[in-house]
Amino acid sequence: MILAAFLVAEFILFSATGRNFLQADNLANIVRHSTEIGLLALVMMPVILTGGIDLSVGSLLGLCAVLFGKMVQDAGLSPLVAGGITLLIGGVGGGFNALLITRLRLPPLIVTLGTFSLFRGLAEAITKGTATYSKFPESFLAVGSATFLGLPTQAWVLVVIASAIWLLVHRTTFGRTWRSIGFSPEGARYAGLPVERRIALAYVMAGLVAALAAIILTARVTQARADAGTGYELLAITAVVLGGTSIFGGTGSVHGTLLGVAAIAVLNNGLSRIPSIMGVSRELSGVLTGALLIAALAGGVMMKFLSGRRARRQTSHIPNTSSNA
Amino acid sequence: MSRYFRELSVAAVLALMLSALAVFAPSFFSPAPLLSRLAAEVPALVVALGMAAVMIGRQIDISVGSIFGLTAVLSGTLLANQVPLPLAVPLAILAGALFGSINGWLVSGLGLPSIVVTLATMVTGRELLSLWQQGRFISLPDGVQWFRLGQTTGQWTLIAVALLLVALLAWASRRLAAGRFVYAVGSDPEAARLAGIRPGAVTFGSFVLLGALAGFAAVLNLVQSPQVDPRAGGGLELKAIAAAVIGGVAVTGGRGRLWGVFLGLLLLTTINPALTYLRVEAYWEKAIQGTVILLAVVADRFQGKGGAK
Repeated sequence: MILAAFLVAEFILFSATGRNFLQADNLANIVRHSTEIGLLALVMMPVILTGGIDLSVGSLLGLCAVLFGKMVQDAGLSPLVAGGITLLIGGVGGGFNALLITRLRLPPLIVTLGTFSLFRGLAEAITKGTATYSKFPESFLAVGSATFLGLPTQAWVLVVIASAIWLLVHRTTFGRTWRSIGFSPEGARYAGLPVERRIALAYVMAGLVAALAAIILTARVTQARADAGTGYELLAITAVVLGGTSIFGGTGSVHGTLLGVAAIAVLNNGLSRIPSIMGVSRELSGVLTGALLIAALAGGVMMKFLSGRRARRQTSHIPNTSSNA
Repeated sequence: MSRYFRELSVAAVLALMLSALAVFAPSFFSPAPLLSRLAAEVPALVVALGMAAVMIGRQIDISVGSIFGLTAVLSGTLLANQVPLPLAVPLAILAGALFGSINGWLVSGLGLPSIVVTLATMVTGRELLSLWQQGRFISLPDGVQWFRLGQTTGQWTLIAVALLLVALLAWASRRLAAGRFVYAVGSDPEAARLAGIRPGAVTFGSFVLLGALAGFAAVLNLVQSPQVDPRAGGGLELKAIAAAVIGGVAVTGGRGRLWGVFLGLLLLTTINPALTYLRVEAYWEKAIQGTVILLAVVADRFQGKGGAK
């Protein structure tokens, strides 16, 4: 609710101060530019729901973009074939995280911090730090700026993936299992749930969708570079946490995550349209995104604290025989 | 198996690599480049020691690069405005401690997970810095570089300071009550609380210590060049975490020795030049760092399974 209000406030503020903010072109632009973050946030959400985290998605996006570019430019594969292989690579990357986390029982934090460095490093090693791949067929690049039924192509991808994940999280046993793992992994195990397999699924999905985001990003910016997707993991995590998913796992919603993505995307775009701060809008929106994340986290804790106190007050008239709290 | 198995195996690998280098690339040991390479790693070592303290306490801090960058620019600006070095050093340490206390408060006061908190402060700090500096370098006045001691003496001074700090902190972590508290909280916060330790205060303290050390490291870095690069400190968090993990600090807290971290950083910094001498390209640096982190935690996992403590 607070987030929806925040989003409305952003719209009012930016349409008053920004140049051409509310035009259809610009709104399409916001969607186009937020698709990659949106996709990553959508798959980050189940991971966080299980009480885990994936810091490697941005790096994996970079690696996939570079490999995709290399396959199209150097090996002469058609974007369709190369895209398929890229998705496979993304799945393998996510599977690698999943393997270390579920088989070896290593903390997701340190595993994905390691692969965060590893994937980015591989991307840099392949491009030798400088090479960019930009020889893509026109038909492929056209997808990045095309519209389909009046909406940008990216919007359709986002809608399809978002619906799939929404159904998965909110309407199937997969979502329920993720939730219960995040709530209590031991409890889920005792209840006979396939905890390892479900956790692994979340990380593999994250890898697959990171690869998809890599292809979409490449089509939009018309080149593939080793630094593609740098910092996207933070934006994705921010969107998820802003959207009301508990960072400790167990609760959260996909539609909340989408609202979180919208809030960040509108902030980014709106700031870049206010003439007086145009030059520094990128840095400023970075600062605000970080501050927003801290505020959302702190807000979540405060809310829990307040509701906990209210619950205690309501039960306090019951005679308390074992007062060892 | 010896108590020091982990640290000794790092030392063994290091010795192996150094002897391989002595055979295949003796020029690695020519004194002048070796000395400047070691001096250049002093700031990273100082940060890694603080990172180890935070990790032993079962937390993590990935904002150190931003703290490092902010304090570097801050003290650079002070020095450029004729503030004397003896005053700028404590101010840098204080500023670092202040940044660290923000992390510490968010983590211990609000009970938020340190990874997300420091991810947020990392980005906020980094973007604030580029908002402030726009990538501009700060030229330092004469008399700052190498503490006015000349290059060789300056480098030896830095190395001496680093070794002193390793010895001091390694001693404090094992012998002082405050040091033992960090281990206690890291291995079991609840048990530590029942033993009369305040876990929140210990966690807060470890973040402040790391911030202060990052501030100090920023000064130790800026005396090595005539200018302050506002982007110095990028990737520092990974290096510090890698050094700690290689040196035997458990990511699950409660275990690790600071002299092991020292060995870990030495090993890490030998890998890159060693690869260069063995004709592997420098672009592999990040990939190798990531692989080494993963190998170290996997190795820990199997060592733990074997029941050896």
